[in-house]
Amino acid sequence: MLEWLIPAASTSADEIDWLFTLIFWTVGFWFLVAQGILFGFIVKFRRRPGVRSQYIAGESKDEKRWISWPHYVVIACDVVLIAGAIAVWRDVKQVIPTPDETIRVIAQQWAWTFVHPGPDRRLDTPDDVVTVNELHVRNDTTYAFELSSLDVVHSFSIPVFRLKQDAVPGRVITGWFRPTKTGTFDIACAEMCGLGHALMPAVLHIESPEAHAAWLGDRTTVAAATSGSRS
Amino acid sequence: MSPLRFGVPTAAACAVVLAVAGGDATPAAAGDLSRGAAHYRLCAACHGDQGAGDPSRGAPAIAGLPPWYVEAQLKKFRAGQRGYTPGDDTGLQMRPMASALRTDEDVAGVAAYVASLPPTPHPATVTGDAARGQGLFAPCSACHGPDGRGNEALKGPQLAGQADWYLLAQLGKFKSGARGAHKDDATGAQMRAMASTLVDEQAMLDVVAYVRTLAPAGNAK
Ligand SMILES: [Cu+2]
Repeated sequence: MLEWLIPAASTSADEIDWLFTLIFWTVGFWFLVAQGILFGFIVKFRRRPGVRSQYIAGESKDEKRWISWPHYVVIACDVVLIAGAIAVWRDVKQVIPTPDETIRVIAQQWAWTFVHPGPDRRLDTPDDVVTVNELHVRNDTTYAFELSSLDVVHSFSIPVFRLKQDAVPGRVITGWFRPTKTGTFDIACAEMCGLGHALMPAVLHIESPEAHAAWLGDRTTVAAATSGSRS
Repeated sequence: MSPLRFGVPTAAACAVVLAVAGGDATPAAAGDLSRGAAHYRLCAACHGDQGAGDPSRGAPAIAGLPPWYVEAQLKKFRAGQRGYTPGDDTGLQMRPMASALRTDEDVAGVAAYVASLPPTPHPATVTGDAARGQGLFAPCSACHGPDGRGNEALKGPQLAGQADWYLLAQLGKFKSGARGAHKDDATGAQMRAMASTLVDEQAMLDVVAYVRTLAPAGNAK
């Protein structure tokens, strides 16, 4: 349902959207029922000539059940929602599947640096590709990310992944995602990090394996051509 | 939304709106000082109210720099020709700030305002052999002038009066390619070639120590 507003482009996004939909319809249903009863009673017990209002103490059983029965239903619904939330939290945040590739994400005031593992799909090798404000990933590939910050707290936010993770100075925080849709999407900082906070957007490119290989090919040529002049 | 969250950016945004709504549609060829002053409030956060710089933030002194140079650098930042390299932390900080200037008139205004600020002297923070540096400065003087006061025709900014730590950092960036390596940055490429003549850290320290002995020309033109 959230997809009407923003595409879902990862496996986690599908799960989170499922949870969102579950909560929306459960809460929405009872909201409408409660409002219906409220307005129904307003009409039913409106002021009429010759009818005196009654004082209800709410002590007899047939009065109290108007409170207790809905209460039991709400608790039952809560159990369902919490069970769903725990299951999604576990999949999204707690269990990191074995990644096909690991990328490094470094936040700073006010830019994102991404270290891609390059054609050999391993970090810390000479073919790593480092970019600023531009993340390239293969579709249908499980990625782990190692998130760190050079200065203050930032938050690595990819709305189409429904991913948002704080980057905390001094810590390396690991997370994961698996893209499910090719395209170009936004990456934002979701934690106020100083003057340029609003000016640190980055771009996520989810590419087919062929397009990703082509991009990597271009990058490695450039790196090879310029590495000689670096001291 | 706390006031902190949107304080300064909002002020900057208001300044933009006011500048646009103010209807001063005539392009400020020489740079509109009042428009520049309004935009400068964003710059002041790091470079200081008077453009004196702040070494703890890696922000250089910019007061009194020639307007053509400030304008050229801001345009490089906005175009991603400067401050785009991984590892160039201060450049990466400056690029988004420059992008907050939406139009060429804004850039020209800020450049004019920066140029109008009175330069301030800087304490020595690095040590080098100025006498040896004088010899090493010979190639630099071709563009920056024998007195280090710059030469607009050759796009060489004034070096005299700049803080030594900043000059050193920039020489390092030119050498490593963190600055001046973009394919469209012609003057950066020139500077990269020249910086490569300073073979080691000591040579950079010496030339910076020499530049420190040069007297600035006041507000450069
Ligand atoms: Cu941030």
